[in-house]
Formats: sequence, C-alpha cells, structure tokens
Amino acid sequence: MIELKHLSFSYDDKHQILDDISLKIGADSHKVIGIMGHNGAGKSTLFLNLVGELKPTGGEILVDGQPVEYSKKGLRALRRKIGIVFQNSDQQIFYSIVKDDVAFALHNLKVPADEIQAKVERVLKELDILPLKDRPIQYLSGGQKKRVAIAGIMVIGSEWILLDEPTSGLDPDGRLRMKMLIQKLVANGQHIILSSHDMDFMYEVCDYLYLLGDGKILAQGGKREVFNDEQLLKENKLEQPWLVKIHQKLGLPLYDSEQELFANEGRKHN
Amino acid sequence: MLSIDKYAYENRIVDWSPKLKALLWLAGIVLAFQPLLWLKAVVLVVVAIITIYVTKVSVKRYISWFYAIIPFVLLSIIGIVVTISSQKSTLIWPIKLGSVYLGMAKVMMPRAGRMALQCMAAIVCTYWFALTTPFTQILQVLKAAHFPRMMIEVTMLMYRFIFIFVDAFEQIHRAQKLRFGYDSFSLMIHSSGILAKMLFEQVIINYEMMTKALDAKLYDGEFYI
Repeated sequence: MIELKHLSFSYDDKHQILDDISLKIGADSHKVIGIMGHNGAGKSTLFLNLVGELKPTGGEILVDGQPVEYSKKGLRALRRKIGIVFQNSDQQIFYSIVKDDVAFALHNLKVPADEIQAKVERVLKELDILPLKDRPIQYLSGGQKKRVAIAGIMVIGSEWILLDEPTSGLDPDGRLRMKMLIQKLVANGQHIILSSHDMDFMYEVCDYLYLLGDGKILAQGGKREVFNDEQLLKENKLEQPWLVKIHQKLGLPLYDSEQELFANEGRKHN
Repeated sequence: MLSIDKYAYENRIVDWSPKLKALLWLAGIVLAFQPLLWLKAVVLVVVAIITIYVTKVSVKRYISWFYAIIPFVLLSIIGIVVTISSQKSTLIWPIKLGSVYLGMAKVMMPRAGRMALQCMAAIVCTYWFALTTPFTQILQVLKAAHFPRMMIEVTMLMYRFIFIFVDAFEQIHRAQKLRFGYDSFSLMIHSSGILAKMLFEQVIINYEMMTKALDAKLYDGEFYI
C-alpha cells in the first residue's frame, strides 16, 4: 500500500503543484488505480514524487507503512517496489537491440546471466513481442517501442507499476493490447497506477479513480461514482466515458465494457 | 532515417561471421595502403562491384553515398598540390601574385593521385564493411578484440542516439520547410540557427528525462554489453 500524508510539492514555493494530498492507494485491494486530471493538473509531478525523483516539499510518502528514505539505498529499494514507465519511449530505451534493453535493469540487479535470459524471454512473450527480440530499436513502430519500454520495467517484477499516459499515440489495436497487458500485469499480482486523458480507457480498465485538479484530490471512488458527475468533469476539462453518457442520456443500463453492452443490448434486438 | 544502416541488416552476407568480415575489411585496408598502384585500383573496382552485388543497392544510390566524402578527399588533395613557388615552370596553371606564383606543383601530382586512389580504395572497403555488418556484429568484434569497455559503451550509446538525433533534426527541419523557412539564403541562415538552438534544447530535455528513466531501471554507473 502506498500512503500519502499531507503531501505537498512545489518547484518555487509560490505555486503549489500538489497541495496537501492525503490518500491511501491500494488500501481496499484495488488493482488498477487511475489518476485523472487536465494538462498541468499535477499527474506527472505526483508520479515523480511516488518514485522519489522529486522530494515532497511537505508531508510524506509511506510505502507498506515505511516512510520513503531519500538516501541512495532507500531510493533503490523504493524503485524495486515501484517501477515507472514514462510517456516517451525513446527517452527510456538505451540499447539498440530489444533484448539488451529489456535485460538492462536485471544486470543492474546483478541477476545471473542465464536467469536474465529466461526472464527477458518470458516478459517478451507476455507482451507478445518475442519475435522482436533481436531487432534494432530504431526500426520499431511507436506501439512496439512502447511495449519494449514497458518490458524494461516489467522485468524488475516490482509490486507497483506506474504508467504515464500509456495509450497516447497508440492506434486502436495498440490501445486494446494495452488494456490486455494491464489485465495480465494484474493477473501476475502487480498493481497499476495509470494516468490518462482517455476517459473511455480509464473507465474500462481502472477499478478505483482519483480526480486531480489544482493540486488537490477533487473526487475519488469506483468508476461508477467518479464518472457520474458530468459537471465536475467538465470543470476539469474532462468528459464522461461514452458508456456513462448513453446510460445517463439514453437511459440504457450502465455497462462496464463495450462487449457487455453489445452482448446484452444485442440480445434484446434479436 | 539513415538508409545506410538498413542495408547492414538486409544484405546477402549478413549471416557471415562478423570476425571474418572484420578480417576481410582489414585485408582490404592493407591492400589499399600497399605500394602497387594497379592493385589499389583493382581493389577499388572489385570491392565496389561486390558491395553493390551483396547489398542489392542501386549503383546511383551507392555513388550518392560518396558525395559526403568526396569534398574531404578533394580538400586534402588541394592541400597537397597547391603551392607557392618563385619558378613559374614548376607549376601547372600558375597565377602571378606579386613576385611569386600560386599554382599546382608538378612534382606533387603523382603523389596526390596515389593518395586519392589509396583513400578511395580504403573508403570503398570500409563501406563494404559498414553495409554488410549490422551494428550488433560490430560490437561483437570490438568485444572479441578486447577494446576498452568504456569505448564500446560509448559506441553503443552513440549508435542508439544518432537515430533519435537525426529524427529530431528531420522533424524540426520539415516543420520549418513547410512554413517557408528555407525559401531564401537569409531565411536559410536564420532557420538553421533556430534549428540548432532547438536541437540543443531538446538534447537537454531528453537528458533530464533519460536520467529519470535510468533511475527507474536501477542504473548504477555501468552499461552491460
């Protein structure tokens, strides 16, 4: 569990990017936690605080009940527990061949060579990119690079994985794969925190959500509650997922996914 | 994108042992620098033909890759042959400059020709190696030859980031061109300046993000090759 106690952060002491945030992430066996908010709401700053890249200017972060230590050793321990995948894949792939890059973190952890190879192959297989193993990075598509970047963090086997805008720049197929990947990570026992502007994606994937605006948590709850307030979402430059819209505007039942909608509604029409 | 790199992965002899290819390259270089002129010329022609055959590159494209190098060869030749002399008879195309003559020294001509041939033969051999050997194989050769770790690390990182840099360059350049940034000479100078500034800024931003990504991957000062 990750607990934030009166967490504040600012770059310049004048403007609080994160303003006295207190919350317990993963308290009630939530597996996929979504952080919503408009551009500049502080989502990325929050993520960087969670992995110790930025040090809170007020309050503290506790992981499994222990306050984060900002020593070299403490941060290393933190990052074994919480991995992060950034938005731009090119900024986090350092090797020119897929398998070398995925193995990087394992080398840093001094894992024996034969074990590294087995782990890398397993992760690549899980992400459906095993055939890309020996390919040079520069000839991969954006979606493939994104999966390589995720593989590079997945191999660490951390309990938490933070995904910053995981669907940005992906085609519908990539988006679908990302959804399945998140489900796979959850099945592996890993927990996900993700930020996105893709409300439909958030609705289908997350089981608990936070709405971040002006550095504060404006709303939190399960997806059925959080997406209910159209006005609040609009004020935060967001919108309701289409499944919620057709529920509210057309009076259809509130479905959890597109498949469920078509399965049920289709039956009525046949 | 650097098309030259693609051929290295998709040629007829990509699966040959990288060490063998490195040895062949070395043999080519030795042949380029041995004293027999006719042998240099043979190496030049034969290796060029072999390269075109194994990489399936068009002759036009192959020749276009030399445009980048020929200016440097020409500059060195000019440096060797152009000289100042007080005797008009030792020079070809003398130009009178006060009491001396500027021109090309007759005695230096054979030497310049020999150097140009040597240069081109060595370049053709190096192109053959670069066009038939993927980068990972080159790394294997460097490792097998026990080059310093640090040097191999830097080589690897440079290779990875050249592509990101070229991509960034192309994107900015295209955006500028589409908005008429290169329509005249003065605009070209101006736009090039902005391009350089933007590239520099992006390098700094990328550096900051990459530091964070390295932390996330538990980097402790060493790249493993």
